[in-house]
Amino acid sequence: MAELSLQHIDKIYDNNVQAVFDFNLEVKDGELIVLVGPSGCGKSTTLRMVAGLEDISRGKLFLDGEDITQAPAKDRDMAMVFQNYALYGHMTIYENMAFSLTLRNENPNVIHKKVLASAEILDLTAQLNKKPSQLSGGQRQRVAMGRSIVRSPKVFLFDEPLSNLDAKLRSATRREILLLHKRLDATMLYVTHDQTEALTLADRIVCMSMGHVQQVGTPLELYDTPNNKFVASFIGLPPMNMFDVEFRDGALHGKGFEVALSDEQKDTLSAYNGKAITLGVRPEDIAEEGSITIHVATNENLGMNTLVHGDMGEGNRITAKLRGWANYRRGDNVNVHFTKMHFFDRETENAIRKEAK
Amino acid sequence: MSEDRYTELDRMRFTKNTQSSRLALLAILFDVLFFVSVYKSDVENYYYTILIGASIIYNLVFLLATFLASEGVKNYKTGYSWLMIGLGVIQIARIFIIPMNAHNAMVASGPVMDTFQFIRLIVYLVASAACLFLSAFINLQKSRALNAHVASLQGQQA
Repeated sequence: MAELSLQHIDKIYDNNVQAVFDFNLEVKDGELIVLVGPSGCGKSTTLRMVAGLEDISRGKLFLDGEDITQAPAKDRDMAMVFQNYALYGHMTIYENMAFSLTLRNENPNVIHKKVLASAEILDLTAQLNKKPSQLSGGQRQRVAMGRSIVRSPKVFLFDEPLSNLDAKLRSATRREILLLHKRLDATMLYVTHDQTEALTLADRIVCMSMGHVQQVGTPLELYDTPNNKFVASFIGLPPMNMFDVEFRDGALHGKGFEVALSDEQKDTLSAYNGKAITLGVRPEDIAEEGSITIHVATNENLGMNTLVHGDMGEGNRITAKLRGWANYRRGDNVNVHFTKMHFFDRETENAIRKEAK
Repeated sequence: MSEDRYTELDRMRFTKNTQSSRLALLAILFDVLFFVSVYKSDVENYYYTILIGASIIYNLVFLLATFLASEGVKNYKTGYSWLMIGLGVIQIARIFIIPMNAHNAMVASGPVMDTFQFIRLIVYLVASAACLFLSAFINLQKSRALNAHVASLQGQQA
């Protein structure tokens, strides 16, 4: 049982720079929350405040109802996994994993059982007598996780644990973290700037920008119904195409293209008749055949899909992710249509949604 | 076999034999105490014989060999136990070379080495030897137990 509650948390450094603004989050027991955002958005600072490595300037932090805002890091019963592993190079893997328990003067036999059990979970049993320098990056990161597991903490904190790994290893280790979460059913807070990691791992995602929480929700909510332009562009790869358009006569008029809207979409945009808005279209929501023409600039084959980069005239750039293998050449014209569209207010950049009646 | 005993044995697969290793280092310490004390009684150049040269060289060899052995037993290598037993026997034998001879040799002012220093040196050498024997014995016991345990694990896997 480990429920975490962050209430109105601010972080203001000594030089009056504010890194985190009014952060609120309720983490349920066994939930995996991913904090995602670009570099410098305050996600690692938030994690470090939860860990007790940074002071909380304002606000309250509760663990299972107990106020731990001022509690020192060692008394918080949380384990943190760092990007750079933070393993002791002169110790074996076994000693690294046993170290925190040895410091607590736990019975060596108990320590042994815990280390073996963790090593078994992480498939590290054969590596226990090796030194960290003899292991690959992925194995080292598993050791760092193992060191956390043996402590049986209430909350696991991950600070960009996969950033040092190559793409293939990152994907494999990501799956291991997911399996670990399912197996331990532990409360986890995970920081990353990689939206793929966020989408694949999280029960819920907290998307941050410039110290502010932009949206909290399930991966599907953030992908399907982003709150604003920032979330829409940040979540999804390749990022969402954004076009300046005008809504009039039941259609969207952009530079070099026009899109007719359904009745429901017209209803959603009823308050914006004659006004300029931002249209967002994910590359994967573009399909071949239709009235919109893309003048192809480059063509990237990804195997199952093809990324077509081009413009729709007047410099309106677009990226489309079309199904199958295509060999378009520079200068070719491809006719497409949009299968799904997102609308954003030009001034506030917030999503325009149909008001509940 | 009790579960605790089994876990203790299994632990040895991943932990070092620090007990034996530390005893070996203690043997080095006693030897250092011996050789910084033995030349104190250099009465009328008694030691300036070929014996003192050999003694100094042997001390260097002892330090090196014992340190190597301490590292060896740390990893449960049985061969180093026999080396330590040999070194221990030599430490005992050394009592009868310089200390005994110096204690028995007489110069005008009396014996070259007084009884107090003689006993002190014997204590250092015996303590050094005892540490070596104990270290070797513990290592032999542990490594045999560990080997048997590993063999039984391999048997189970097969």
